[in-house]
Amino acid sequence: MGDDMEVDDAPLSPQQEQEEGAPAASGGTNSSKVAAMQTHTKATAVRSIEGWIVMVTNVHEEADEEAIQDKFGEFGEIKNLHLNLDRRSGYVKGYALIEYPTLEEARAAIDGAHETKLLDQTIQVDFAFVRPPPGKTGGGGRAGTGGGGGGRNGPGNRNRGGRSRSRSPVGRDD
Amino acid sequence: MSAANEPFYLRYYSGHSGRFGHEFLEFDFRVLGDGRSATARYANNSNYRNDSLIRKEMCVSSLVIDEIKRIIKDSEIMKEDDEKWPTKNKDGKQELEIRLGNDHISFETAKIGSINDVTDSADPEGLRVFYYLVQDLKALVFSLIALHFKIKPI
Repeated sequence: MGDDMEVDDAPLSPQQEQEEGAPAASGGTNSSKVAAMQTHTKATAVRSIEGWIVMVTNVHEEADEEAIQDKFGEFGEIKNLHLNLDRRSGYVKGYALIEYPTLEEARAAIDGAHETKLLDQTIQVDFAFVRPPPGKTGGGGRAGTGGGGGGRNGPGNRNRGGRSRSRSPVGRDD
Repeated sequence: MSAANEPFYLRYYSGHSGRFGHEFLEFDFRVLGDGRSATARYANNSNYRNDSLIRKEMCVSSLVIDEIKRIIKDSEIMKEDDEKWPTKNKDGKQELEIRLGNDHISFETAKIGSINDVTDSADPEGLRVFYYLVQDLKALVFSLIALHFKIKPI
């Protein structure tokens, strides 16, 4: 699997090199691995707790788990599959989330299935989770949101006890 | 596919204050700078049986954001108006705020217990759009969290 992996030859932009040097990359991240972690829009994928999550969109409304398994099982072992339904129609909503244990399998699925047909519809396939761009570590409260409701920002509601959000799991890149 | 640099922001809140204090669920998606990614935040506070506040933050790819935008556009929620929707009450309220391109909505309504509340309202068609969109968005958020953090929301 992974042998015929397509590696993007595009040179890294200064910003991406910066990202690679970020503390999140715990040692040994070579350039081919960085390329393997790149999304179609040149963001850098991150590993989730138990594997790599791949998003599939434009999934046919009559697709079922077997159809997803048939197409994506050839790239690796599918550890988890979420194929959510439209709450109104009961048909498939149009996306699937697939968990692969390794980066190689996820990369193979993205390279092998992106812009291919599934039940006559051209699907898009990419990593679901990425690293935050440098210098933007989320947070920032609710700046810029208008119309927030009265009352709920009252005493003791937000930021209670100063607990911070847990961040995306980082560190492992296998 | 939608333009990556199109402004996009989504926030949903559902909560109430009662016997167990302020209990709520909230999530938002905010596109970062160049549109290559977006931060997603999730918070859930239930004081029932001494459960505590759960907060999660993750960064999702542009394909995930494109899909959320697609779901919002297909729902046609941006054409709705909350003027005739049931107002918040002792059971709490829901808020939905979306900025998508040049459109912006900020809706507030009561919690909806079942589809009957929708059917019996003064604007069943509009409220139905809201009711199902919220369920579809929650399903996506819960899947993302379950897969990324291996926890079961709610």
